[in-house]
This record gives sequence, structure tokens and C-alpha cells, in this order.
Amino acid sequence: MIELMNVKKVFNAGNPSEFSALNSVNLFIEENQVTVLKGPSGSGKTTLLSIVGCMSRPTAGRVKLKGREITSLPERFLTDIRRKTFGFIFQQPNLIKGISVLDNVMLPAYPLGEKRSHLKVKAMKGLSQLNIGNKAASKVEWLSGGEAQRASIVRALINDPHIIIADEPTAHLDTKLSYRFMEIIEKFKAEGKTVIITSHDPLVYESSMVDRVVNLRDGQIEN
Amino acid sequence: MILHPAVIANLLAAYISSGMVLYALFYGVQILRHWDIQSGHELQLVLERKTYLISTLLSYVFGLQLLSLFLFIFTADSLAPLFVGAMCAVGTLNVDPFGYPTLTLKICNFILAGLWLILNYVDNQGYDYPLIKKKYQLLAFVAPLIILEMILESAYFLGMKADVITSCCGSLFSSERVTGIGSEIASLPALPMMWFFYGAMSCTLLCGIVFYLKGLGGYLYAALSLLMFIISLVSIVSFISLYIYELPTHHCPFCIIMEEYCYIGYLLYLLLFGAVVSGLGVGALIPSRQVESLKFMLNGFIRKLALASIILYAAFTALVTYEIVSSSLVISYEVVY
Repeated sequence: MIELMNVKKVFNAGNPSEFSALNSVNLFIEENQVTVLKGPSGSGKTTLLSIVGCMSRPTAGRVKLKGREITSLPERFLTDIRRKTFGFIFQQPNLIKGISVLDNVMLPAYPLGEKRSHLKVKAMKGLSQLNIGNKAASKVEWLSGGEAQRASIVRALINDPHIIIADEPTAHLDTKLSYRFMEIIEKFKAEGKTVIITSHDPLVYESSMVDRVVNLRDGQIEN
Repeated sequence: MILHPAVIANLLAAYISSGMVLYALFYGVQILRHWDIQSGHELQLVLERKTYLISTLLSYVFGLQLLSLFLFIFTADSLAPLFVGAMCAVGTLNVDPFGYPTLTLKICNFILAGLWLILNYVDNQGYDYPLIKKKYQLLAFVAPLIILEMILESAYFLGMKADVITSCCGSLFSSERVTGIGSEIASLPALPMMWFFYGAMSCTLLCGIVFYLKGLGGYLYAALSLLMFIISLVSIVSFISLYIYELPTHHCPFCIIMEEYCYIGYLLYLLLFGAVVSGLGVGALIPSRQVESLKFMLNGFIRKLALASIILYAAFTALVTYEIVSSSLVISYEVVY
């Protein structure tokens, strides 16, 4: 489904502070599987994830999504792919303060022009499935850490993406909430979604629902 | 002369355009030599990122190029009171040998810049940079012309001497003068030329409408729109100007941009240049109709271009007709000036 061919990423190229985050990474990620990118801090997990999710471009190499080469695409085409194909869950929930949970969840769908009433039903359904339906009208500042994380998951799913990308999703969750998060991931898998997670949390990469663990170190995949 | 605000604006526009075009050409040549969309090589990815910058830069440069033609004509016209013998832009352009070559080059570069902007717009609609090579080949062709234009324009403005006695338009565009292209055009018989203009315009518009409705004869329309552009310029000197000035002997194509004639020349030239650029754009884009990534939009866009060209030519003809009908001048078959 996702194929990376000789992907390299160099930051500050040509400067004394030049840093090579990824070195000739070749990887094939299967559809409808949970793949975990595991490795120590600075190993290139987040960089790789951001390239797969079309959030940044590699310095060299190509990425194919469902057989279509995406690294050469002009920015406006990438925006469209990001919007429709990927759902992003970050380490921090990154919810926008001052507006309600429901508005936060619906926000990524606005550019697609879906009717607000349909969108509201979809958002409410997502919030109810993750047991925070009663918080829809609340401001995000009033949510606990776990609730905020679940709200960010509903937001990631609002455009019904095929691929869920999660960057260190359990880093700020306690054990109970981390298990709860993995249950949610299992549900995604059952729905036929492809999930890619970066983590160095054993609770994540040792989970039984994970199909594949890819070890990264110094910007390379370890055998 | 160099301290005249309009001259400074012209020279600045020329230097900025040339500098940016040279910068763009440097990467354009690399794109022409090394572009390979299949490759994941570092250079290819750098070029993919650079092409955004270059495209954006050139869009502004060529936009400036379009404006600079009118700025140049305006400047030549506004400098006329400074030269003995000059009544309008004709006299100013004649104060040294570089005036008319600069104007000719500016007209060519206007059309080429317009075509580049059309190619760039279409290229940006495709996901795989479908016209990138064509776009940069055109840049490689236009860039030397823009540099040459800058050199000629500098030589023209910097070489102006206030003590030069120049010729007025009455002398340069006179049917009584023996030599010179202006006089030869002015000597063309007005009434036959008028019928020729209307006949040629009818054929062009008909061909354009057939292409718009049935998609046939695109190349023919592009060729006719270029031909019609030349015929229209000749017609302005030959008979249109006579009706605007209401004088059977005044053929100047520049006095019509003056306030006395409600600046109608600017509108006429704007319609004409817009029509030829969009008409030629039709021909330039037809070979790319089969490109996979453009299939969804290109046919529609070419039809829109053709329609724009037809409307602009029709508006030009309507304006010319209005000037002829509302003019007090009557030209009979017996007397041909």
C-alpha cells in the first residue's frame, strides 16, 4: 500500500549543522495492518512518519501510495491527499482552545464542503463511540488528558481516512488510557484501516494487535 | 532624461525583469537538462521544489513584462514635449536609433510572455508537471530577447539628447512620403483596406466560433488570430486612425493614446494584444490535449481561451465600427488618401 524507495532526509544540508535523519530507507507497509515504527529518540521515526503522511518531502527517494508516486506531487495535490487519505494523531492532542470539542472535531472537514448538519451527526457519532459524546459542547480546556486524546482521535477520523498515522500517541497517557487507546486502534483495524504508529512504548509495540514492528536506528531500518 | 520618473520606472522594470529572468534561466537550463520525474535522485527533488519558486517568480516578471509595453508607450508619449519636432510618441521613439527596435521587441516579448503565462497556468493544473519542458524551452527562447530588450531600452533612454530635432508623426506616417514602412502602410488605400479588415475579421471570428462549438480548426484559428493581429495594426495606420482623428491625412498609430482622443488607443491595443495572446494560446495548447493529467481540464480551458480571443476581437471590431460610424469623416471611393 505504502512503498518507500531509497528515502533520505537531510536537515540543514550544506551547513555545519547538517543532520541526516533518514538514510536510504526502503519499506513496504501493507494495507489493513498495524505497523509500529520503533526506535530510540532521534532514530528518525517521526521524520519517516511525516514523509509517509505527506507532511514533508524527502531529500531523495520516492514514496508510492497505492501504486501512485506522491513525493513529486505539487503541494495542492498533496493537500488533497492529506485531507482525504490520512488521519493524524499527534503526541499532544493539539486541540484549538476557545472553541468547543465538537467544533474542533469538525474543523478538518470544513474545506471539503460537506453539509454542516451531516458533519455534526458524523462528529457526534464519533464522540459517542469514544464515550465523550457528553463533552461535545464543552470547551477543550475543560477536558482531561485522556478525553483530549480521544477528541483528537475523533478529529483524525472525521474525513474517514484509509490510513491512521499516530506519532507517540501514548507518550502522555497513563497505563489505563494507553490500553484504552490500543483498544481503539484494534477497532480501526477491524474496520479495515491501515494504522502506522511511532512509539518506543512496550505497551504499544508488544501489543498482540500489532502486525509488524519496524526497528529504526540512526535513520536506518534494522534487520 | 534619466531622472524623469517614467524613464526610471521603465529602466527599473527592465532591470528587475532581466535579473529575475536570468536567475530563472539558470534553473530552467538545469530543469531542461536533468529533469526526470521517474527519478528519486536528490537533484530531481531539488528541481521539483525549485520549479515552484521559479514559476511564481516568472509569473510576476512576465506580468510586469505585459505592463511594461504600455508603460513604455505612455513614457514615449509623455516625453514628447521635451523634444523639438515631437508631437507624440512617434517623435520620441525617433530621437535615437533604439526607440523603434525596443518597441518592436517589447511587442514580441508581450506575446511570448503571455504565452508563457498560459503554459504555466496549465502546467500547474497537472499533477506531474506535464508542460514543464515546454515551459522552460519557451523561457530559454524568451530570456535572451528580454535581455536584449533591456539593453536596447537602456541604450534608447540613456542615449536621448534634448537638443535633437526629431520628426513628428505627420511626417513619418504620411502617404506622401516615399520611403519607410509607416508611409507604405499609410499609403494603402483606406476603403479597400477597410473591406479587407472586415472580411479578414469575419473569417477569423467564424473560424473561432467553429472551433469553440465543434473543436475543429484550432491551429487555423491560432494562425488567423496572429494574422488578424498584424492586419489590425496595419488597419489602425491605414484607415482606423483617420476616422478617430477625423482627418483624411493623419495616420499616426500613437496619437490615439492621447487624452484628446479619450485614450481610446490604449483600449484598442489592449483588446488586440489580449486577443492575439489568447488566440495563439489555443494553438500552443492543442498538442497537449492527450496528456493524461490534463485531460480533465485542457479541452475546456482551450475552449475558454478561444472564446476570450473571439470576444476580444469582436470587441475590437465593435469599437472600430463605433469610431467609424460616429466619425464626421467620410471617405469616398474617388478620393483615396
